[in-house]
Amino acid sequence: MGIQELFSTYGENYLQALVQTWSMTAISFSCALVIALAITVFRVSPIKPLRILGDFYVQVFRNIPGVSLLVIIIYALPYLGLTLDYKIGAMVTVTMVVASFASENLMTGINTIGVGQIEAARSVGLSFGRILRHVVIPQAVRSAILPMTNLLIGTLLTTALASQVPLKPPELTGMVNYVNSRSVGGIGAFFISAIGYAGTSLVIGYVGNLIDKKVRILR
Amino acid sequence: MSAHVVSMRDALYEAPGPKMRRRIRVVTIFALALIAIGIALVVRQFHITGQLDPRYWTLFTRTTTWAFLAQGFLGTFRVAFTAGAIALVLGLVLMLGRISEAAWLSTVSRLVIDFFRGVPSLLLIYFFYLVIPKYGIKMPSFWMITLPVALAASGVLAEVFRAGVNAVPKGQSEAALSLGMSDSKIMFKIVFPQALRIVIPSLVSQLVVVVKDTTVAYVVSYPDLMQNARVLISNYDALVSMYFVVAIIYIIVNFAINQFSIYLAHRRGTKIISRNDENPV
Repeated sequence: MGIQELFSTYGENYLQALVQTWSMTAISFSCALVIALAITVFRVSPIKPLRILGDFYVQVFRNIPGVSLLVIIIYALPYLGLTLDYKIGAMVTVTMVVASFASENLMTGINTIGVGQIEAARSVGLSFGRILRHVVIPQAVRSAILPMTNLLIGTLLTTALASQVPLKPPELTGMVNYVNSRSVGGIGAFFISAIGYAGTSLVIGYVGNLIDKKVRILR
Repeated sequence: MSAHVVSMRDALYEAPGPKMRRRIRVVTIFALALIAIGIALVVRQFHITGQLDPRYWTLFTRTTTWAFLAQGFLGTFRVAFTAGAIALVLGLVLMLGRISEAAWLSTVSRLVIDFFRGVPSLLLIYFFYLVIPKYGIKMPSFWMITLPVALAASGVLAEVFRAGVNAVPKGQSEAALSLGMSDSKIMFKIVFPQALRIVIPSLVSQLVVVVKDTTVAYVVSYPDLMQNARVLISNYDALVSMYFVVAIIYIIVNFAINQFSIYLAHRRGTKIISRNDENPV
């Protein structure tokens, strides 16, 4: 099947698949940022058990393969009395994995600020909250733009995991399967999906670079 | 985690006074209690749904179970290392193309690198599994999983190599140039050996990504750890326990690889370059 024929037959489906991938990416990434923020607060708090809990979360979820987590959430949790919708389950999987990497990015952002700055801020009498608000957070956020851009692209690619569950409508990777099970999609079916991903990554990367250039702190 | 992380963590707070110390102690106990309650709730859920029943766990006392899982792990190991080796060579070639003076070669390499970095490995696996056979090319399942994983990793490795090459001070290649060395000689005798030393920890940490990518080998029905676990699940009807055990095995393996790369980076005084530190596509 040529690309043109594919478009006329499955154009609508591909569009839905693209929207599905985009929506999963956007929702998972936003939720992951919120969770990562909470975990990072845990990890820098003076409360020992919370620190350990935060570190533990990050080590578990940055090292677990996505599929391994997905099958637990989709197929094992129902046995434990928690059944999630396929799409929700896939998004929870992506969110939990991405949150661990996002927290690592935030920690790196915090670490780029020298200890001396904190000491200086304290010596001029800033309170803890003010040190965070005026010294730590602005710098950490700025230096985290580029890693977070990459992580957003990573999130986009991780949503391909959802092709392992029967999703309706399928997302971009599942589409290759969908087309090939109905007709001979051939290389075209693969390329349309690939361009959907690569094109989206390109745009995200471009915008991320622009923002980074605007806010980057030159050291 | 390096020592630096801890110091920054601690620097955020002033040394607590007696009042603050009391408050920290109260919150600590409170947090501990909450965590204990959380763990208890999870265990309770396992219990009331009957998942703690010995019949789901006794299979792990048999040597045959572990032998079969070990066999699967060997499959994972084989795919991961073959894919890693291919990606190493391909990544190096792509990087050399990317930094070459010839504009067309650089553009093509860049497109290839960006393509492999911008496409999920699962999509590449479907390409090898669903698309290639349609053109009459028969491939053993080992290569149907190894090649796409290798291709996906090669794009990232090319950028890691490039970061390493860029980290070698420019004065060195300028000095070599002034001695009359040729471009390729400068690359392979001066720049690359140093770049390689810089990126070795990063290469090791990329192995984690490769291992993770191999877990979808069941798509092409190659007997890796995950696929063998699925076979055991259908034999013993112990889904929950098996999936959790396999997840823990993967976490431990990847954790070990990560720690090893951190150790290497620490010993060499270099930084680990991950996908997140590279320039986005």
